[in-house]
Amino acid sequence: MSLTRRMFVFGGAAIGGGLALGVIGLGTHLAMHDRLGVQREGNSKDTLLNLWLRINKDNTVTLLSPHTELGQGAGTGLTQIVADELDLNWQQIKLELAPATSEFSNGGVFEGFVGEMIGKPPAWAEHIASNAFNRLADLLNMQMTGGSASIRFTGWQVMREAAAAARQMLINAAIDKYGASINTTTDAGFVVDGDSRWSYGELVEHAATLDVPDNYTLRAKGERKFIGKAMPRHDLPDKIFLETQYSIDRHVEGMRYAAIAHSGVFGANVATINNLAEITSMRGVLGVENMGLSVAVIANNPWRAEQAVKALKITAVSHQNSDLSSASIETFQRESLQGKLSDAHSVGDIASVLGGSGETVEAEFWVPYLAHATMEPMNASAWLEGDKLHVAAGVQNPLYARVHAAKIANMDVEDVVFHAHSMGGGFGRRVGFSMSEDNPLMWIDEVVTLVKKYQFPIKLTWSREADTRQDVYRPAVLAKFSAQLDEHAKPRYWQSASYGSEGGAPASMPPYNVDNIKVQFANHPSPIPIGFWRSVENSQHAFFNESFIDILAEKAQADPIKYRLALLDKNDGHAKCLKEVAQLCNWQYGVSADGKAMGVAVQKSFGTMVATVAEVSLQNNQARVHRVWIVTDSGVVVNPDSAIAQVEGGVLFGLTAALYGRCDIENGGVKQSNFHDYPIIKMAEAPIVEVKLLESANEPGGFGEVGVPTIAPAVANALAILGKRPMRLPINA
Amino acid sequence: MISINLNGREQLFDVEDDMPLLWLIREEAGLRGTKFGCGIAQCGACTVHIDNQAVRSCMYPAVAAHGKQVNTVETLGSKEAPHALQAAWIKHQVPQCGYCQSGMMMAAAALLKSTPNPSSDDIDTAMTNICRCGTYSRVKAAILDVAKEMSL
Ligand code: FES
Ligand code: FES
Repeated sequence: MSLTRRMFVFGGAAIGGGLALGVIGLGTHLAMHDRLGVQREGNSKDTLLNLWLRINKDNTVTLLSPHTELGQGAGTGLTQIVADELDLNWQQIKLELAPATSEFSNGGVFEGFVGEMIGKPPAWAEHIASNAFNRLADLLNMQMTGGSASIRFTGWQVMREAAAAARQMLINAAIDKYGASINTTTDAGFVVDGDSRWSYGELVEHAATLDVPDNYTLRAKGERKFIGKAMPRHDLPDKIFLETQYSIDRHVEGMRYAAIAHSGVFGANVATINNLAEITSMRGVLGVENMGLSVAVIANNPWRAEQAVKALKITAVSHQNSDLSSASIETFQRESLQGKLSDAHSVGDIASVLGGSGETVEAEFWVPYLAHATMEPMNASAWLEGDKLHVAAGVQNPLYARVHAAKIANMDVEDVVFHAHSMGGGFGRRVGFSMSEDNPLMWIDEVVTLVKKYQFPIKLTWSREADTRQDVYRPAVLAKFSAQLDEHAKPRYWQSASYGSEGGAPASMPPYNVDNIKVQFANHPSPIPIGFWRSVENSQHAFFNESFIDILAEKAQADPIKYRLALLDKNDGHAKCLKEVAQLCNWQYGVSADGKAMGVAVQKSFGTMVATVAEVSLQNNQARVHRVWIVTDSGVVVNPDSAIAQVEGGVLFGLTAALYGRCDIENGGVKQSNFHDYPIIKMAEAPIVEVKLLESANEPGGFGEVGVPTIAPAVANALAILGKRPMRLPINA
Repeated sequence: MISINLNGREQLFDVEDDMPLLWLIREEAGLRGTKFGCGIAQCGACTVHIDNQAVRSCMYPAVAAHGKQVNTVETLGSKEAPHALQAAWIKHQVPQCGYCQSGMMMAAAALLKSTPNPSSDDIDTAMTNICRCGTYSRVKAAILDVAKEMSL
C-alpha cells in the first residue's frame, strides 16, 4: 500500500462537538507537481486535506464526500467501506457532499487517476500544465469526480484508513477514560469490553483529545458486513420523490433566463447580429449580449429566451476553422500518420522481422467525434447577494469550477459561493478540463458574465442543440494497423499508429504475446474541442485492437476466443475473463441457424478486466444486438448491484456510440443537433445484458466506465462473422 | 388567458398560445419535477398526463391544454404514500442520474392505466423515453412487477 504510506490521518474535536478526522495526502500530491514541473510555493500548498469523517455525539457518523453525484452512486459504496471499517450499523451513517472549499479538495485522488493512466505526463496533462488558465497549480483546486476513482482511490485507499484509525481511537478512548481492557473491541457502533458498552457518541469527546494512532488494523474480510452487499443507494429516494434538485431546477427570487447561440464555428467569435431590433422587441426579451464566442438573449421565461435565440441572425467572423470538415480532418490525420510519429510502446525489434515471409495483414479504422449528450443539458444559475457571487451548477469538480468562476468574475475565490448540484449525467462532460485548449465550462463563464452585467439572478440553459454542438467531444481517431502471420498463423509482429495523444496511453498496447510490437501515434493541436468521454481512450483503442486481433483470427480461420487464448499466458487476467465469458454465453463460433453470430472483445480499464460477448444479427443490413454477456474481474466488489447497474449502463452508452454515434464536422461546426440526428438507444433496442462479477482480494477496480470499451468491438466482431466487418463507426451509419 | 386544471387546481395563465406546456409548468407554475431534455418530443423527460394520456409537454402548445386536466409527476406519490411505481423504482434501484425518471414513471403510469397487464413487447412499444444512463432493464422489471401486483 504505497499510497497509504504517503497519507497521514489526523483528527481532533469537531465544531459543534464530536470527533473529526481528515486525511492529508503528502507525497501523492507532490509527486504530480514534480512530474509536471509545476512550481510550488510555500509549505501550506504541499499538503492536501482529502476528506473528512465526523463522528457525532448523537452516535451518527457523517461522511463528507468530495465526489459529486452524477448517477454513479459511488457515495453509497463509500459509506459501505466506512461502515465496515469503523464497525457501524447501517442507520448510523450519513453521506454529505463536501462543500467546494479547499479543505476538501481531492487533487491527490485525481493524481491516482492520472498516474494510473499514464505513468508519465501525457500530452493533454502538459496542456493543462502549460495553459496559463488551467495551470496545474489548480490541482489544489480540484475536487474531482472522474476516472472511476471514487471507490478505488477515495474509498479504498483513503477513507478506509481514516475509518480504521477512528475505530482504534474510539477503543483507545474507552481504555484511557474508563480503564477498559486490552481486549476491548467494537460492535456495530459500540465499543465493547466484556459487559461494558459505550456508544461511539459517548466516547467521541474524549477520543478527540487523543493522538491519532499509527497502529490500527484494517478489518479482515470475514468481519465485513456491508462491503460486497447490494446495499440500497442513499440517493435514490430523493431522486424518485423529486427531492433531488438538479441545477436546472434551481430557482432564485427575481430570476431571469438566458439562452445561447454559439457562433457555429469552433473558436470563432460572433461578428454581427443582423436583426437586433427584431429580437429586442420580442415578448419578454430583456437583453441581447454578444459575448464573443456566443450571443445570449435574456428574457423572463426560458422558452421566450430560446425563441429569440432561434430567431437570431448572426454571422461568425471568418476563422481558420471555417472550412473544416470531417473529411478534411480525416485527410489531415491520414497524412499525419505518414509523418513523424511518437513511440508509445515497443516490444522486441520490429525492424528485424519486417519483410519476412508470410501473409501481411493491414487495416485502417476510423471513429468519429462524439458528444456526451447528458440527459440534463449544460446549465448554470448565478446571482449576487451582498458582495458575494453565487453560482449553482452540476459539475464533476465543484472546487475547480468555483475558482474558475471567480477568475471570470474577476473576484476573490472567497467571494464566490458555489452550489454543487446533482447532475443529470456527467460522463466526463462536466470536468473542468479538455484535452485541447478548450474550456468545457463555457456555460459557467457565460452566466457569470451576464450576471456581472445585468445584476439580477440569471439561469442560463443550453438548448439540446447548443449542448450537442458545443461539447468537448470524444476525439475522432484514424488508426492504421499491420501484422504479419507466421507459419502458425500467429502475428510475427504487430504495428499500429493512431492519431491523437491518447494513442500513447496503455489502452493502445495490445495485451497479446507478440514478439515484436510497435505502437506509435501522431498528434497536433486539435481544432475541435476534445475531452474526456466515458472510458476516455479505452473506447477507441479497444475497438481498434480488439477488431484487429479478430481480423488476424479470421485470416487464421481460427475461433476468435481460442486464437486470443493462444496468445495469452495461462494465468493472464484477459485469458481468465475470456474463458469465463465463453462459458457464460455458451460460446458459439459461426452463424447460428437463425442468422445470429457472437463476437468477443476484452479490455482492461480503470483497474477492471472486462470480457464481453455480443450476439448480433443483421436486419435490413442494420446491426441488431440481441444479447450481451459480460464478465468483469475487479478485485473487491463493494456494491455488486451498483456495479451491475454501471456495467449495464456502460454497455448501452458504448452501444449507442457503436451503432449510431457520430458528430460530423461541417463548415467548422457540428452538424448533428438533437436526439433525432444524434440518437440514443431506447428500450426496444436495448439488448439483454448479463453481467458476471468475478471477485478477488485485490483492490477494487472501477465500474463507472468499464462497460463501455468492449461493446463496439464485440458487436463489430460478430458482424464480421455475418460477413460485414465494420472498419468505421458508427456501424448503422 | 389559458385556463388549465393543473394537478387538481383550476389555474389561469397569461402566456402565449404557443408556449409549450413544459415551460408553463416549470416556470409559470413553478413545478420543476417535469424535466427538459430535448424540446422536440424525442426523449420523454417532459412527460405529463393530459386527460390521463401521456403527453410530451415540450411540444404541446399551452393553448391546447385549455380546459383540460393536466397532471404532473408531482401528483404521483410521496415518501409517506408512494405510488406503486415509485415503490417498485426503489425496490429495483432503477435510477442512476435520475434525470429521466420522472418522465419514465409518468410514461409507465399511463401505460399501466391503459394496459394493466402489459407484455414485454407492450412495454417496449410504449416506453420510448430516452435514458442516457441506460436503466431500461430495471425500468422494465419494475413495471412488470407493478403489473403483477395489480393483477393479484
Ligand atoms: S423534453 Fe420533451 S421529449 Fe424531450
Ligand atoms: S437515469 Fe440518467 S438519464 Fe435515466
